[in-house]
Amino acid sequence: MKKLSFIIAEKSYIVKTGLTKIINNFHEASVLRETTDLQTTIKLVNKHNPEFLIINIKLINDAHEDIRQLFSKKINTKLIIFVGTKRENEYFEYFDEKISIDDDKAEISKKIQLLINKKRPPNENSESGELSEREKEVLRQVAMGKTNKEIAEALFISMHTVITHRKNITGKLEIKTVAGLTVYAILNNIIDIDEAV
Amino acid sequence: MTIVKKTKLAEVIHQNYHLIPIITRFGISFGFGDKNIEQICKQYEINSDFFLEIVNAFNDKDYSPAKKLGTMPLKNTVKYLLSSHKYFNDIKLPLIEKLIHKLNWEGPENKKNKATLDKFFNQYRNEVIEHTAHEENEVYPFILNIENNFKSKNKDNGFIEILKLKSIKDYEETHNELSSALLDLKNIIIKYLPPANNSDVIEQILVEIFDLEKDMEDHTKIEDTVLIPVASKIEKELRKYLK
Repeated sequence: MKKLSFIIAEKSYIVKTGLTKIINNFHEASVLRETTDLQTTIKLVNKHNPEFLIINIKLINDAHEDIRQLFSKKINTKLIIFVGTKRENEYFEYFDEKISIDDDKAEISKKIQLLINKKRPPNENSESGELSEREKEVLRQVAMGKTNKEIAEALFISMHTVITHRKNITGKLEIKTVAGLTVYAILNNIIDIDEAV
Repeated sequence: MTIVKKTKLAEVIHQNYHLIPIITRFGISFGFGDKNIEQICKQYEINSDFFLEIVNAFNDKDYSPAKKLGTMPLKNTVKYLLSSHKYFNDIKLPLIEKLIHKLNWEGPENKKNKATLDKFFNQYRNEVIEHTAHEENEVYPFILNIENNFKSKNKDNGFIEILKLKSIKDYEETHNELSSALLDLKNIIIKYLPPANNSDVIEQILVEIFDLEKDMEDHTKIEDTVLIPVASKIEKELRKYLK
C-alpha cells in the first residue's frame, strides 16, 4: 500500500532529523522531502500534494491566518505547525495539529498516529493477506501471462474490475511484478508450474 | 561523521562496514595499516577528492554529492559506476545464486520450490545484465563523448551529427523495474516461501539481498544526482557552442 507522505519544512537540522526519525517509525508513513524555506515548500506541496506538511511557524512569517491560500486550491494536505517556543501558540486554530519543541516522543508519536488514523482508518490497513477466490482466479490468469484485456474476457468482467483486482492483490501480497506474482501463485498451488509463463 | 583526507581508512571501516565493497571497488586491498585516505589514494593513484565524495555519499544518506562531484570530470564517475556494475554482475549476483541453489525442502515440494525460485532469480539477473549492458554500451560512452567534445572545443562534424539524433534526455530512465523485482524477492522469501531445511542459508540470502538493494540505491543516487544532471548541463552548453 502506498505510504502516506510528509513534507517537513524546518531549518534546524536537529529538529528535522528528529521529526523524520519519529515519522519513519510508522510503517505506513514516510518523509517525502525536507525543505528549509517557504517558497520551496509551496512549490513542493503544490507538486506532490502530500498527505501532511509539518512547517515551522518561523517559516510562514505573517501568513498564519491564510496559510491555505498559499497553496493551490486542489491541495488537501493536512497542516501541522511546529512551534519552537511557548509564546508562539496563538495561531494553532488555523492548523490541523500542533507539535511543540517541548513535546516528548510519546506525545509526538500519538499526534502523528491520530493524523494517520484519520487519513487511513486502522481497519482498512489491517486487512489480512488472504486473497479472495476471485482474486485467486485473476492471479492465476496473470501468472499465465495474460493481459488485462484477455483476463477480462476470460472471466467475463470489465477491464476496470481486472485492474482493481490486480491492485488489491499487489496491496495484499506486497508483490508488484508479474514474475513475483507468478512465484506466489506457484508456491500456493494457484497455478501449476508448467502452466505459468 | 564526515570522512576527510586525514581519516584513517581502518577507522572508516570500523565505523561503517557497509563501505567494505566500495573500498574494494576502488581496487584497494586490505592490510593497509594505519594509513589515512590521502596516503592510500596516493598509493593506488586514486583521485582522493572523488574517493571522499563517494564514501561520504554512501556513508551518510543526507550527504549530497552533487555539488562537488559535479565539478569533477565525469570520466571518474563513469569509471566508478562501471566497477560497481562489475561488482553486481560478477560477485554479488553469482553469490546470491549460489546460495539459492543450496536451499532444499522436504519431499516433493523441493523440486517445485527450487525451480520456481531459480527461474525468478535468473529472470531478475538477466534484467540487471541487460540494464547494465545498455548503460555501458550506450549511455556511458555517449556521456564521455559529450564531455570530451566539450573539453576539446573541436567542432567535430561526426559528433554534431550524433547530437542531432540523440540527447541525454533519451537516457533518463527509471530503475523502478529492477528495484521492484528485488523487493518482491524479499517479500517472497520473508513471507511466502515454505520453511527450508537450511534456514541459515535463508538468513544469508536475505542479508545479501538487503545489502545489494542498498548498494544499488546508492548507485542509482550517483547516476540520478550527478551523472545525468551534469551531463545534461554540459550537453546544453555544447549544443549552444556548436550552433
